[in-house]
Amino acid sequence: MAHFGADVLKIESRMSPDVVRILGSAWLKDREDLAPISSDTSPYVSEMNASKRSIGLELKTKEGKAAALQLLAECDVFLANFGARALTELGLDYDSVAAVNPDIVYVQLPGFGSDETMPYYPFVAWGPNQAPLVGMDDFTGHADDPPAGIATIAPPDYMSALHAAIATITGLEQRDITGEGVHIDISQFETTLALLGPFVMDYDLTGTVYSRIGNRSMWGAPQGVYPCAGNERWIAISATEAEDWTALRTLLGSAIDLDFDNPSTRLTDQDRLDEQIAAWTSSFEVEDLAYRLQSAGIAAHVVSTNEDLLHDTHVTSRNWYQVAASSRLGRDVFSGCAVKLSATPGRWTAAGPSMGEHTREVLSDVVGLSEEEINNLISAGGAFEQLEPDMVATRPWNDWIHLLVPGTEDARDL
Amino acid sequence: MVGPYNGLRIVDTTGLAGAYATRLFAGLGAEVIRLEPPDGSPLRRLGPFAHNVEPPENSLWWSYLAMGTRSVVIDPEDTNSLMQILAEADVVFEDQLPEKSLVPQDEISPTTIRTKILPFGLAGPKRNWSSSNLVAWAASGILYTTGFTNRPPVAPAAPMQLAYHASAASALVGTLLALRSRRITGVAQDVEISMQEVALSIAPETGVPMFMDDRVHRERSGNRRDLGRPFGLYPCKDGFVSIIVLMPRHWVAMAQWVSETTGNESITEEVFVDNAVRVEAKDLIDDWVEELTTQGTRLELFEEGQRRGIPITPVNTIDALVDNPHLEAADFWTTTQLQDATEVTIPGAPFRSSSPWWSMAPAPRLGEHTHIYLN
Repeated sequence: MAHFGADVLKIESRMSPDVVRILGSAWLKDREDLAPISSDTSPYVSEMNASKRSIGLELKTKEGKAAALQLLAECDVFLANFGARALTELGLDYDSVAAVNPDIVYVQLPGFGSDETMPYYPFVAWGPNQAPLVGMDDFTGHADDPPAGIATIAPPDYMSALHAAIATITGLEQRDITGEGVHIDISQFETTLALLGPFVMDYDLTGTVYSRIGNRSMWGAPQGVYPCAGNERWIAISATEAEDWTALRTLLGSAIDLDFDNPSTRLTDQDRLDEQIAAWTSSFEVEDLAYRLQSAGIAAHVVSTNEDLLHDTHVTSRNWYQVAASSRLGRDVFSGCAVKLSATPGRWTAAGPSMGEHTREVLSDVVGLSEEEINNLISAGGAFEQLEPDMVATRPWNDWIHLLVPGTEDARDL
Repeated sequence: MVGPYNGLRIVDTTGLAGAYATRLFAGLGAEVIRLEPPDGSPLRRLGPFAHNVEPPENSLWWSYLAMGTRSVVIDPEDTNSLMQILAEADVVFEDQLPEKSLVPQDEISPTTIRTKILPFGLAGPKRNWSSSNLVAWAASGILYTTGFTNRPPVAPAAPMQLAYHASAASALVGTLLALRSRRITGVAQDVEISMQEVALSIAPETGVPMFMDDRVHRERSGNRRDLGRPFGLYPCKDGFVSIIVLMPRHWVAMAQWVSETTGNESITEEVFVDNAVRVEAKDLIDDWVEELTTQGTRLELFEEGQRRGIPITPVNTIDALVDNPHLEAADFWTTTQLQDATEVTIPGAPFRSSSPWWSMAPAPRLGEHTHIYLN
């Protein structure tokens, strides 16, 4: 939303900071002198919050909460992912906010919904605990192994966020047409389950409990991740349709048994099929094989490492990584937006904000407080400003940003 | 249809790539026309299938993802009929490059939004490359970091086809923004989605900006991670539970629980409150925690652990989800009707709104609505 022009105000707290503010940056560990700005240095700050403004409000204080309600009276949308109980305890539940702004589009993403009569209402689940809850971990791994888990990423967070964006825009649309606000409750437990439809139906009809099948396809063979020359070099290949097989077969030559021309043999004897393909792929350099397969029309890709992605000219030629000014770091690099619009392409006004960087300007411009009122709010502990506004640090890899963002060899390009 | 997008006409020419987007559109009130070739959408060939229903109406993927849509069959050669359908479309969803699309790019109305979901986008050295759910994860860096060390890396939740659904949801976000823009300017535009970029945007935890920062080569680490202890999946009576303990107060509650249940007196010693110490002694901690987890079921451990304020969840399987007491109480599951009139359980609306937004008719029969749109 921020990329496409909305004025997104991120409410931040020092009493209970956002996790991206706690993480800091790896190179900062030995820099005691930069400790006061650690909260602005995690790469997540720009990854998650580029083009947003940061306002420091302590919602647990009487003054901070009052300022938040004054702010919400001026906003079109309120988006919150506090636990449902925490939001009610803060006095920022839908009824309280609608009392000051009846037209607001109020979107909340509690783990288990905001109905306090429901069994899991007080429960919490976030990050790595969410994927197992919604069935993703059970679906991850090879068939004979224990679930491999999705240890390193949290797809449910992103699916919930996409649903929240859809709900928010829909809420704005409805408000524009009817003049009425709306309360949208996104239970993170429920929203990801919407992706399980066919498996739920099959269980209901036949009792089949579908589970993990490694990298194989439910719909054809071969599909898998196969070894290539070198240490830990892998290629992903999907050749599940009849024409894929014809093309793959030409490349495989005598490396494959003739009976695999029968599609049902490919499905029923996948172990032997995969073994023969793996024996064939293991003599190739992975990049070379990916190009050979794609040239023959077969879906394939290097199983990319970060080192590969750094040098992925397709990704960089599409300007996937972006660079923008940062008040704390001079400039910072972050991932772009996967939604590309041709006529209204959006823009990045800034990298991620410093914590509390915009407190004063938001309270003044949006809420309309006087300088004295803002000073009083800050001294009462209801709001806070950026620490050490003049302290600036440059990332050690600042000089290498041109690897990700072509044309930025010279910092003055900004 | 009373949903907020009542009055919009959407034409979907995609297979799996756009299906989740147009399903949501239909649920929110839009009139969604699925253009099918005479032998049916490729979605209709995706199993599992309903055994008592004849093809091409038996695919459960079709029966779920095509809900609320209308089926219009058009011969690929019949450009007149195609143009007739497209003439009044507010949005067209495509999953082919312009030169391969059946939609004539130059003849489409300037007020029609063109949403294109493509493997690697419209431009760039790999624009002509093919993809799949697996290939999209391979190209994102995520596949490489998922799985056990001694086994080939694996895609996250592969059967769910997450890369397609996340691409579809992203496409819907872009389409809704384009519709708002059109309402103001009167002009439509292209919405472009690269499946690779969608997968990359789910990967900041493992992604390149993080890697630039710490310069640590990511390797897969199985279902536990050394960020903390306990951290990851632990076996129990009927499967696994997931426990993520980082914060001191979570550990104190965890140690207390293990101690009360297994009689372990060492685990509550002060020294283990330090996460770094626990990671150092991870095998010991894991053994102690497993002595607790192997005594209970997923649901017992989840409910008791949560009651104690510990971040624990069950590793749910499909049967456990369908029978879950919270989802039952919340009335989440609903039903749809197959072509033989069988009622079958499906997930309910993905979010709840104070306005009555969501409604879904069963998926259409092949060509069920052709006569309405082409006469």
